[in-house]
Amino acid sequence: MSTYTKKQVSDLVKGDLDWDTLHRMLSMPKDKERYSHYISVLQEQVDWDDRIILPLGPHLFLAETGEDKSLVTKCECGYEYGDYQKNWKLNALIYVRDSEEKMQQVYPKLMAPDTGWQVYREYYCPSCGTMHDVEAPTPWYPVIHDFQPDLKAFFDWLDLPAPVNA
Amino acid sequence: MNQLANPVEVLGIDAGGTMTDTFFVRADGEFVVGKAQSNINESQAVLESSRDALAHWDRTVEDVYPEMVTCVFSGTAMLNRVVGRKGLRTGLIVSKGFEDFHRMGRAIQSYLGYAFEDRIHLNTHRYDEPLVHIKDTRGVTERVDSMGNVVVPVRLHEAREAARELIGQGCKAIVISLLSSYLNEAHEKAVRDVCREVAREMGVEIPVFASVDYYPVRKESHRTNTTILEAYAAEPSRATLGTISDSMKEVGGRFDLRVMASHGGTISWKAKELARSLVSGPIGGVIGAKFLGEKLGYENIACSDIGGTSFDMALITKNNFAIHKDGDMARLVLSLPLVAMDTIGAGAGSFVRIDPHANAIKLGPDSAGYKVGTCWPDGGINTVSVTDCHIILGYLNPDNFLGGILQLDVERARQEIKKQIADPLGLSVEDAAAGVIELLDLSLRQHLRAMITGKGYSPSDFVCFSYGGGGPVHAYGYTKGLGFKETIVPAWAAGFSAFGCATADFEYRYDKSVDIGITDESSAEDVATATATLQAAWDELRGKVLEEFRINGFKDEEVTLTPGYSMQYLGQLNDLEIDSPLPVLAGAQDWDKLVDSFNDTYARVYADAARSPELGYGITGAIMRGSVVTKKPNIPVEPEAGPEPSAESHLGTRPFYYEKKWVEANIYKMELLKPGNEIKGPAVIESDATTYVVPPGFETFLDVNRLFHLIEC
Repeated sequence: MSTYTKKQVSDLVKGDLDWDTLHRMLSMPKDKERYSHYISVLQEQVDWDDRIILPLGPHLFLAETGEDKSLVTKCECGYEYGDYQKNWKLNALIYVRDSEEKMQQVYPKLMAPDTGWQVYREYYCPSCGTMHDVEAPTPWYPVIHDFQPDLKAFFDWLDLPAPVNA
Repeated sequence: MNQLANPVEVLGIDAGGTMTDTFFVRADGEFVVGKAQSNINESQAVLESSRDALAHWDRTVEDVYPEMVTCVFSGTAMLNRVVGRKGLRTGLIVSKGFEDFHRMGRAIQSYLGYAFEDRIHLNTHRYDEPLVHIKDTRGVTERVDSMGNVVVPVRLHEAREAARELIGQGCKAIVISLLSSYLNEAHEKAVRDVCREVAREMGVEIPVFASVDYYPVRKESHRTNTTILEAYAAEPSRATLGTISDSMKEVGGRFDLRVMASHGGTISWKAKELARSLVSGPIGGVIGAKFLGEKLGYENIACSDIGGTSFDMALITKNNFAIHKDGDMARLVLSLPLVAMDTIGAGAGSFVRIDPHANAIKLGPDSAGYKVGTCWPDGGINTVSVTDCHIILGYLNPDNFLGGILQLDVERARQEIKKQIADPLGLSVEDAAAGVIELLDLSLRQHLRAMITGKGYSPSDFVCFSYGGGGPVHAYGYTKGLGFKETIVPAWAAGFSAFGCATADFEYRYDKSVDIGITDESSAEDVATATATLQAAWDELRGKVLEEFRINGFKDEEVTLTPGYSMQYLGQLNDLEIDSPLPVLAGAQDWDKLVDSFNDTYARVYADAARSPELGYGITGAIMRGSVVTKKPNIPVEPEAGPEPSAESHLGTRPFYYEKKWVEANIYKMELLKPGNEIKGPAVIESDATTYVVPPGFETFLDVNRLFHLIEC
């Protein structure tokens, strides 16, 4: 069984892990301590005390609030997007690139999609302005709900007690 | 026998990542094996290993080196230089518009050398740093089409500018590889000459490598990678080999140092094409097995080599090994002919872990290497290795590991196996360790069987040679039930690769791609053109081969030339390499002889019924091999001493765990056993460098050539 130090997991999160170790991590079954190491590295990145349950993106987390143990989607800056089972994007700032002019701000001319067929929807934190996600759907498509974790099953796999409100 | 009448003649060296092995052979065939820890200073490790070997004969390096006639080196230094990207800064000139192909690489390079699981999972795929940085790459406008016609003439003023920039920014060598240059060399040679001119004008002396001068073969990436290696890795390695050669001269050596090359021959360290010595270690064993087979009458041999990290297999059929034309090495596709081998990443030192989800034992793919396992506390390893399992089950002697260099802690190994393997699986320590060994043996056995049956053969047609430091430990396990004619373990198994290097021919081989296709509808004129094309390619290659030998002071008439060709039925994907039945082609009338020779070989390799002459014949490559006579080791022949091993060879007994019970195994000293001696399992035969295990249900005898024959009762 391979085990890794918290430093190695921290390097993994930062993208600084050497390839040999990263390769071994990818190829081998996960070690038992991985979840706790990983979460504690993430926890050190944020200024708030609510317990991180899962990362949803580089700066977006699923967290258990200290007051009532409710599970919310939360930005690194502390902004809360509400219940984790609801699509957090509906509470984000949305910028839609739906014209050739807006597309040319990010891609050279003729290198971007025709906005009649495809638009980019960018989701920003209303509090700190971090871009959390970009979608590239057809213009009429509803806001995509990316991921709905099954926390009970997940904690069952981890062999750890699940959050009370999972 | 006195020393003058029985000089030491041959030295084989295998400078591996962990150990540097030397193998000295006397005129009467007696040999000694020496070992030393590998060292950054390779010549020092070679001399240390030599001292270790020669001590067995109470002789010194200064005493022996002057009487030796031949020495072959194989090592991993050049490979390490490539893997560690520590080569010479090289500039690359390609056809304009193709500047990125080298750094993009072939997709297969993202998973070459990986274990099966990592090959099929995209997230582990990874492209290594290119050998040449994009900033050191320039394009020159030109184009030759796939038929060899000039479509866009080469703009030499661009080449001039490119060379000036590359040299100006610090490149120490320039490589030129243009599209389809193997069909028309004019552009590449013109660019090459311009680069040399520019270097002269700038007052610098740097080597310029045009791919057509080295590897005029199809496949851009392969050809370019290989030519870059000549500049990037082979030139610096030449300096290292020169140092080793000098240090040997200092102690009185008067022989010319040769290097093992991927095509199975040896070449001089002064050779023009030195990149082919990049890979050589495991090949030595195959060459050695072929040599022994020819001397002793085994024509079909399954070679198996277990070291600490890998299991290498190769087949010798009718005294021939197969050559793989585009070998790959260091995760690069290359245009180097390579002795065909199958390798899996499981060896005697593989790590053992439990997959917590499947609750099953998982072996490798990584291994403890020279750190052995948890049984060697100084090695700093905390993960159980296969060696740990061998130690606690009595297979290996903890007090005589590598001749007692390392002190092993059996109790620590036992505790770690209990904690990491046995307890999670709910097994006793013995059963867990035995399970690990059984799993390794099973997996090796399956691969060995797959390699043989996959090529349409049956193990019953083969004799299995088992060597490498771990071969004799596992020979019974991976051959059990496969039905080989015989399983043979040479007494010098641990030094077998070094021995094999010493048996290799002094041989150069050059290849060139040709495109020839002849069907029933071809005219006599087509056939005449075909033979003329092949002969022209041979003439070109012959010049290169003879030039290599001239560098080493051989006259043209001393060189034996063997022309060959790769032929296939048109439309089939695989070709076969054939030694030409004729030394020179006079014209169309000789075509049929080439075809007959191919048909015969095809029937031998596959089957009569599989021949498909109705498709017509294609020739894809011309080959020229040249060799000169060298001194090879003699094989020892000793008198029979009867079936009973002598009393002094019997060292006692030791508990040995096999098939769920402890038995008392007889322990013997390998060096003291005599030809004719028969030993019934359970027995363990120990020597400094290896351990030969004969479990219950097996017996073995030593023949007059110091080969052990393992027999399943």
